[in-house]
Amino acid sequence: MFKDLNPILHSQLRLAVVSILISVKEAEFTYLREKTEATAGNLSVQINKLKEAGYIDVEKTFKDNYPQTVCKITPQGVQAFEEYVKDLQAYLNIKK
Amino acid sequence: MEQQKEMTGQESLELISRMINSARKNYYETGVSSLLWGSIITICSLVTFANYYWQLPGLGYIWFLTLAAVVPQIIISIRESKNRGFKSHDEDLMSGIWISFGIAMFLLSWVMAYMNVPYQPPIYMVVYGIPTFTVGYGRRFRPMVIGGIGCWVLALFAVYASFPYIMLYMAAAAQLAWFIPGLILRKRYLKAKAQKENVQRS
Repeated sequence: MFKDLNPILHSQLRLAVVSILISVKEAEFTYLREKTEATAGNLSVQINKLKEAGYIDVEKTFKDNYPQTVCKITPQGVQAFEEYVKDLQAYLNIKK
Repeated sequence: MEQQKEMTGQESLELISRMINSARKNYYETGVSSLLWGSIITICSLVTFANYYWQLPGLGYIWFLTLAAVVPQIIISIRESKNRGFKSHDEDLMSGIWISFGIAMFLLSWVMAYMNVPYQPPIYMVVYGIPTFTVGYGRRFRPMVIGGIGCWVLALFAVYASFPYIMLYMAAAAQLAWFIPGLILRKRYLKAKAQKENVQRS
């Protein structure tokens, strides 16, 4: 039997954000927006969902008098991502 | 990018791979720091070489340029860090390597001057090779690996060279360690930047 794919990660924008955050130590909101090509509102909602799930940490600060949001993946997020990829590979292998 | 779109397993894997590659592409450094130090050490070495014949007293202080270059280096580092928008996993490690190299060079210059060590350039070349090789090896950037090894090979040959010719080895070491890798980094960075701008325009 297949394990169900993690519904938090199995969504295009949230998966894109987590994939980027796996590759870097931390990233600014503007960087994530540029890479995912998402709208600010949509990205903000999905980042909040990932934060609520405990997969990412979000730090809001000020840089040059402008608000700055920095996102960082948590150990729980790394574990969830690894499990998601493992489940995905199992799913694709059996499907072949 | 739409949030609601239903993805197949294959599409998920492709998305992960695309995003990881896209983030990795941003690892390109601007090459400005490498070009700065490659130019300064080359200029100082060649001026010292030429001054053996010119005998201009003021040019004896040319190596103070390396101290003055720390200021633009700090400005470049802060500006690059601000504009990048992300922090890579190895960023602190890389900064640590270059800061420790800078401190070691400063102390080495002072200690060798104090102890009146003759023929200092080969010692500097050995030290130049350490961060260059380490960073090149760690980031899998072959020009810096070659540059680091080049510094060590030149240091071996420089032992047999006399002043002022030893300064030509020093200039060659700076070219191999920093200037040439800097040019390659710069070319890659500008290419990646142009690609990014094209994507944004289309």
